[in-house]
Amino acid sequence: MKINGSYSVPAPAQRAYTLLQDPVILAKCMPGTDHLDRVAENEYDMKMKVIIASMGGLFSGKVRLADQNPPDSFKLIVEGSGKIGFLKGEGLLNLMAQGETTEVKYEGDVQVGGTIASVGQRLLDTTAKMIIKKFFQKFAEAAKG
Amino acid sequence: MIAQNFDYAAPGNLQEALSLLGNENAKVLAGGMSLIPLMKLRLASPEQLVDLGRIKELNYIKEDAGVLRIGATTTHFQIESSPVVRSRCPLLAEAASYIGDLQVRNMGTIGGSIAHADPAADYPASLFALEAKVSLVNAKGKRELPVADFFVDTFTTALEPGEIIREVIVPVEEQSTGTSYQKMLQPASGFAIVGVAARIRKSGGKIAMTRVGVTGLSGTPYRAANVEKAIEGTAGTADDIRKAVADIAKGLDPNSDLHASAAYRTQMARVYATRALTVAISRAS
Repeated sequence: MKINGSYSVPAPAQRAYTLLQDPVILAKCMPGTDHLDRVAENEYDMKMKVIIASMGGLFSGKVRLADQNPPDSFKLIVEGSGKIGFLKGEGLLNLMAQGETTEVKYEGDVQVGGTIASVGQRLLDTTAKMIIKKFFQKFAEAAKG
Repeated sequence: MIAQNFDYAAPGNLQEALSLLGNENAKVLAGGMSLIPLMKLRLASPEQLVDLGRIKELNYIKEDAGVLRIGATTTHFQIESSPVVRSRCPLLAEAASYIGDLQVRNMGTIGGSIAHADPAADYPASLFALEAKVSLVNAKGKRELPVADFFVDTFTTALEPGEIIREVIVPVEEQSTGTSYQKMLQPASGFAIVGVAARIRKSGGKIAMTRVGVTGLSGTPYRAANVEKAIEGTAGTADDIRKAVADIAKGLDPNSDLHASAAYRTQMARVYATRALTVAISRAS
């Protein structure tokens, strides 16, 4: 599944870039995530509790940052699995400075497998969009203060 | 598959149900047309189900000072076949008649459907066009929300933990109002690829009021305010409608899945909005 879109973040590019690399901020913005455990340089273990439409539960996996090119772009690689399925995805984030705000463009490809993929195709696109929207809403708040 | 073990309670009144829902792992069962399949696939595994099916005080259709009050556990079939709903709020009866199949309509309830907030469900298009209200209740009290505030996002409503839907409130329609719900259905599931509900009032040969609710097109149902504005004040000719529906998806990020791409869905929203408006205009007097 291809995902792409863009959000405006109320912070200059350099600050937005730094915040997007910060595990504390990332954990705060990812829905249902308490914290990220650093396992290596730019690599973190995550535990995420997501329940949407009474589906879901606990997911565990890894977040990796790569191809860092501050303050313009980096790659975010996410892998996770739970009882209802698994996902593996890679996204390129491009930051474009617009004075005091930054336009963050994301473009990626996500593979979803397991029960949720075989019976929930209809739900994947809208649900993915909602999770990304929630992330950026929280991130915008974090970037402000 | 068989669902994971769970506790089951079927309280006989609302108070008892609300106190059982104090347990944060309890989940409301209100018909079960979405929840039970998810449990059988083990996509959902609640620890306890609180079945509202035996609570008589939640199953009613009442006319009351210009509105219809519909209890949360009223089934789609009860709504579809109720003489009161058919004559006083025909749009809702029409929408109910389009849901799933007869078995689903016999078991599924209006409260269960809107609490699930599936972005492709049928009711929301009509509820938005009707500017309906949803009444919620918890152990401490109750509150009433406009439907636009109730549907927060995909599968997400304003319901708080421990809170349940008590009733849905829709206006009693003036006899001269014309309404229609038109749906492009996904044949296997019966869900809407897009569904459009329209309400029209005429005055002196012109369209005096328009309400358009859309489901299936984006992550949440919505009122297409720009379409409404473009139609109001016109004579409601085919050409007026064609121009008005052009921007139905303006500012939205339309859904895309294996059944319909975003571009196709958008075009189908225009087509079904045209049909809904055309029929509603012809029914208005």
